[in-house]
Amino acid sequence: MRLEKCWFCSSTVYPGHGIQFVRNDAKIFHFCRSKCHKNFKMKRNPRKVKWTKAYRRLHGKDMTQDSTFEFERKRNRPERYDRNLAENTLKAIKKIDKIRSDRASGHIKNRLKTGKVQRQKEARKQLELGIHLVKAPLALAQDSSLCLPKIKVNVSQTQTEENQPMEE
Amino acid sequence: MVQYNFKKITVVPNGKDFIDIILSRTQRKTPTVFHKGYAISRLRQFYMRKVKYTQQNFHEKLSTIIDEFPRLDDIHPFYGDLRHVLYNKDHYKLALGQINTARNLISKIAKDYVKLLKYGDSLYRCKSLKVAALGRMCTVIKRIGPSLAYLEQIRQHMARLPSIDPNTRTILICGYPNVGKSSFMNKITRADVDVQPYAFTTKSLSTAVLFFLDISGSCGYSIAQQAALFHSIKSLSMNKPLIIVCNKTDLQPLDGISEEDRKLVMEMKAEAMKTVIGQGSEPTNEEGVLLTVSTLTEDGVIAVKNAACERLLNQRVEFHVALPKPRDQKERPACIPQAVLETKAKQAAEKEKRKTEKDLEDENGGAGVYSASLRKNYILSNDEWKEDIMPEILDGHNVYDFIDPDILLRLEELEREEGLRQEEEEGDDFEMDGQELSPEEQEALAEIRKKKSMLIQQHRMKKSTAESRPVLSSLGLDPSLAINRARSKSRGRKRERSVDRREGDDGDAMDIDDNQASKKLRLRSTSWSRSRSRPPSEVVPGEGLKDSAQKVNAIKLAKKSVLKRNKNARRGEADRVIPTLKPKHLFSGKRSIGKTQRR
Repeated sequence: MRLEKCWFCSSTVYPGHGIQFVRNDAKIFHFCRSKCHKNFKMKRNPRKVKWTKAYRRLHGKDMTQDSTFEFERKRNRPERYDRNLAENTLKAIKKIDKIRSDRASGHIKNRLKTGKVQRQKEARKQLELGIHLVKAPLALAQDSSLCLPKIKVNVSQTQTEENQPMEE
Repeated sequence: MVQYNFKKITVVPNGKDFIDIILSRTQRKTPTVFHKGYAISRLRQFYMRKVKYTQQNFHEKLSTIIDEFPRLDDIHPFYGDLRHVLYNKDHYKLALGQINTARNLISKIAKDYVKLLKYGDSLYRCKSLKVAALGRMCTVIKRIGPSLAYLEQIRQHMARLPSIDPNTRTILICGYPNVGKSSFMNKITRADVDVQPYAFTTKSLSTAVLFFLDISGSCGYSIAQQAALFHSIKSLSMNKPLIIVCNKTDLQPLDGISEEDRKLVMEMKAEAMKTVIGQGSEPTNEEGVLLTVSTLTEDGVIAVKNAACERLLNQRVEFHVALPKPRDQKERPACIPQAVLETKAKQAAEKEKRKTEKDLEDENGGAGVYSASLRKNYILSNDEWKEDIMPEILDGHNVYDFIDPDILLRLEELEREEGLRQEEEEGDDFEMDGQELSPEEQEALAEIRKKKSMLIQQHRMKKSTAESRPVLSSLGLDPSLAINRARSKSRGRKRERSVDRREGDDGDAMDIDDNQASKKLRLRSTSWSRSRSRPPSEVVPGEGLKDSAQKVNAIKLAKKSVLKRNKNARRGEADRVIPTLKPKHLFSGKRSIGKTQRR
């Protein structure tokens, strides 16, 4: 039993799901669902279809090269069973997974960082230019920070005295 | 070993029949209908085809004849000699050769005439060429007519030959006619045997020869004559076990014959003995060579048969196992190394002792109940692991893809790397924090944006479009249809003047309401139901009318003429009308193609 990768969108195909297509030149295509299968039949190139992993990797949206990918490699020669090895492998898989996902999200964050920086700059500029709409020039002269003018409210004294017994 | 079956040779037709067959076939299989008006290339093709077809058929049939008749050199010499004796070898070869030549001649004729036909310029010429070609081919066949007849005879005769396998052992029974051979056969085989008069050689067959001698002379030939026959045949039966059988002893016993006859018989026996001696170092007994038989009384028949068979069988055994001659009395048995003996003994013991899986199964409840443990013979470094179950899939990964003897090392490396990377990241993050806005600043920004969007809304409301001019809404009608229509039309109309006129009236009526964010819902309050007459619209002179006054008049007249009809809700010229709701040609009649289930 083996988990395959969908040829179109590169998601994992679990047993009992999807379709396998064998072409006349004996190349096998796995598909995770009919959406991918139908796209394939329409002869669409997954590298041009936005939601596939192939597109994302090609256009740098997702992480492409990393040492964590080296751990998972299809091995054709079976190894003799060793309990310790098996245990270590299972633990390792979890750790490697975590590292890989961290790195992937880091990659994406990095990618989005420039946009964030730009937006922040714009926001700051907008704030500076538009502060006159919400703050009167007099208030600005008094308090030169770029925030809303503080509104002073007078509270009558009698009310505070009445609250005191309640606090006890 | 090939079984010669001469019955399978196809019939060889004689000359005339041959010609008839081929010509009629040509007539049937090639197109016959023809017109002299056809293109010349087509005419040529037509006749060429006929000539070619005829030639091909001749070729085919002659080839089959040549192939099916066996060549004398290729077959077993027995048959070759038989053939030679029956019909002359040379004649046979000549006949086949003639057929071959005929075949080649016909091919040549066809080739030449096809070449000539290519340049035939009229129907008549092409036709005569074809006639000439076919005629010449037929003459060739006529000339080989006698050869064909001869071959047909041969074929018929050969078909009647029984198929003898020349490689098996046979017993030849020979002798003068009427000597009693067939009666002997009958006695032995209990089969009705036809008399087969063969004069053949025995050089190549592995046979035993039984020479029948009629002691009594009642066959019509004297013993002397039979002896002469024997001597003439004996050359052919060299090295073959020879048995002399004296038949008809009931009429004349062997001892009672005359001296000369006896001498002759002894001579024959001597010859027979020679063949025995030539056979090998077998002790001979005189009975095995000269036997007496009476087929009538069945006396000695079986003895003869046994003797013959024995001689034949003995002839075959020729293997010699070479054994060294013992030079002294010492025993020298075969030498087997000790280890081999031991292992042999062990294997034998194991075979008896070992318990098979089948036995186990039977013990534990049979086939459906017991399931064999496939793991019990696993070779692992620690035997406790034999029953371990290892998962194949974990978290969307195939575990087998990760198995690596030094996975721990690599994992350690990876974690170190990761640690380094994370430190770097934290450093980067600290730089970033300075740029962010504080919460108060964010509040202020949000306020600014809100204010801006409100300003934009106001501006949009102020902007005068079809929506903002409440003409229809003042009447209490929904303006959206009019708006859409106006939007779809071009924007070249001059509406400014009317717009300007509008502005003053409507300015105060418009209320900028923040809660109604939508700019389309700018209807007037429906409480103001005061109707408003439409001011005279601008009329531009043109369209064949000389001035605006005239145009206004024209428009008025048009409207008046239409008013009554509209009021009465009658159909006008702009309204769609179907003159005939059920035209006959669509609703009646049969279909030339398809069904009439729907029209």
